Amino acid sequence: MHDGSGRIAVQNLTKHFGIVPAVQNLSFTVEPGSVTGFLGPNGAGKTTTLRMLLGLVTPTSGAATINGRPYAQLGNPARVVGAVLENEGFHSGRTARNHLRAYAAAIGVPDQRVDELLGLVGLTPAADRPAGSYSLGMRQRLSLATALLGDPQVLVLDEPSNGLDPEGIAWLRGFLQSFAKQGRTVLVSSHLLSEVEQMIDQVVIVSAGMTRYYGPLEQLRGAQRSRVLVQPADANALVTALQEAGVGEVQPAHDGRVAVTNATVQQIGDVAANAGVAVYGMEEEKADLEQLFFQLTSPQYVGGSLPPGQPPQQPPQPPHQPPGPPPGFPPGPPAGQPQNPYQAPGYQQPGQQGWGGGQ
Amino acid sequence: MGNLIKAEMRKIITTKSWWALLIPAFFASLLFALGWGAFTNEVGEVLSSTETQTITGALGIETGELPMGLLAIGHGINVGLLFAVILGVLAVAGEYGKKTITTTFLTAPNRAMALGAKMLTYSGWGALYGLVVSAAASLGIAFVVDGDRMPSSGQWLAVIGTSLLAGMLATLFGIGVGALWKSVAGSVVTITIYMLLIENVWVFVSFGLWQENVAWMGGVLPNGTLNGIVGAIGAEAFGAAGVKIPGLEAETAWGLQYIAGAPGAFSWWASALIFFGWTMLFFGSGWAVNQKRDIT
Repeated sequence: MHDGSGRIAVQNLTKHFGIVPAVQNLSFTVEPGSVTGFLGPNGAGKTTTLRMLLGLVTPTSGAATINGRPYAQLGNPARVVGAVLENEGFHSGRTARNHLRAYAAAIGVPDQRVDELLGLVGLTPAADRPAGSYSLGMRQRLSLATALLGDPQVLVLDEPSNGLDPEGIAWLRGFLQSFAKQGRTVLVSSHLLSEVEQMIDQVVIVSAGMTRYYGPLEQLRGAQRSRVLVQPADANALVTALQEAGVGEVQPAHDGRVAVTNATVQQIGDVAANAGVAVYGMEEEKADLEQLFFQLTSPQYVGGSLPPGQPPQQPPQPPHQPPGPPPGFPPGPPAGQPQNPYQAPGYQQPGQQGWGGGQ
Repeated sequence: MGNLIKAEMRKIITTKSWWALLIPAFFASLLFALGWGAFTNEVGEVLSSTETQTITGALGIETGELPMGLLAIGHGINVGLLFAVILGVLAVAGEYGKKTITTTFLTAPNRAMALGAKMLTYSGWGALYGLVVSAAASLGIAFVVDGDRMPSSGQWLAVIGTSLLAGMLATLFGIGVGALWKSVAGSVVTITIYMLLIENVWVFVSFGLWQENVAWMGGVLPNGTLNGIVGAIGAEAFGAAGVKIPGLEAETAWGLQYIAGAPGAFSWWASALIFFGWTMLFFGSGWAVNQKRDIT
């Protein structure tokens, strides 16, 4: 049977629906004891990947295992893995309690477990109402209760915050963290980093069916960079002066401003003063995780004009193949050296805050 | 497997479908048995003397004792069994429609066991449907058929027994079609139109065109064989199936089979075997497709 490790391993996973590639050569592992975010824009292949992991979709090639085994070889799988999937179905005429009782029977857990879980997810007052009358948030809670019936070691959630109110999201965050603290495994997908940022320790970022980054969230945070937008009287003179002084890295600017990375406002001011270039204003931009995330995943939106695997703002190493087998996979600064920061449409809005988040 | 069967039972009894189909099944069987019972009771009066004598002579009974009720009971049961087929369709296609199939597959050790549990559970429900519709049809003929034309207790037990069998197979047939197609509406509409209309018209028209050369047609097609399981009991009682009565014209035999609801049926067990083949064809294909189908 399975090895009981609680480890999720995805190895060179590929899925084509007809000729459409949904997932291409995806590899990552998820270790127990942490909450791992599985992030990417809509259509990045997240749901397909999770469904392959759960044995619902057959991979074209590669493998996805939990505890070293494919889902169908886990024995009584719901005792090992619980899954909250998007569009999880309930019979509209069946009550939540009856829904849970049916699946409790299938898993072989006592009916008493149903009442416990109804209480845990706060559905006890609505337990005898048909699921068809439930709000989206209540359905999500019922999904979670279903996933937890077998007291699983591994929890996989696809966009669980959909339909949850802020209170519900906060509750879920706390729940997943305490679940992971018990040495269990949590893999949670989202298309919004900000939604899961506070609950995850590890992150896998995919876009256009390929892995863009995976590793600790802290490492991604450490890779944040800021840049300074300078409004000089003479841009060319300032660029020359900065390059001669070896201060920062200059990027093309489209609105007469000069964008400088790896330099402080003070350094730039000194260089400008020494070169005799008047500076009318400087604006410091902090990149936050969301912007990094956008950078890592934006190739999906310009993919038509770019060969896949050569996105404009990738780290120098091959982007779709994480270096080495996990856990030895420090991918380096993922946001480094943007080659062409204006490729993504969102960048072209003058005066816009942030690096890219514009849609 | 016990766990999964328990789960399937709970799924069935916590929705309305099982009784929402069983009630119309009961009344459809009752009404058809009433209608056909009244008709066959009249036929008993008007069967031409030579044919009647041929039959009764071979069977060694009096003319007035022909079990005309048997001809009607099959019709009543056959129409009721359509609802058992629909119940079967809901087993898998219904789960696809509601997307509960995801959780069903996730909570089973593998898909084969999930479908196996459905097969066993729904067989039991099919048998229940068979029992209820045979009771309804029995009630129907009891109202309208003369006492001495009612089936003997042996014949009646045979009808109930074959009805249970037909109910089980009908449900499995529905599961197979639904598992293959995974559309409740598509499967139900197609099966209903096919079973009530297309095959009946085809069997009737082809017999009109080619007579006894195609008498076997109804004995091999899905609807004909399902109907033949019970219907052939009636036809056999008239020497129109299973046994051959010398001198009974082929067209008369087919006509009697038709009235019994089993045109072309070879015998009840041949019908059962051939329909079992159809069931396995659809169930097997549905099973095979579901082993690999992507649940997205």
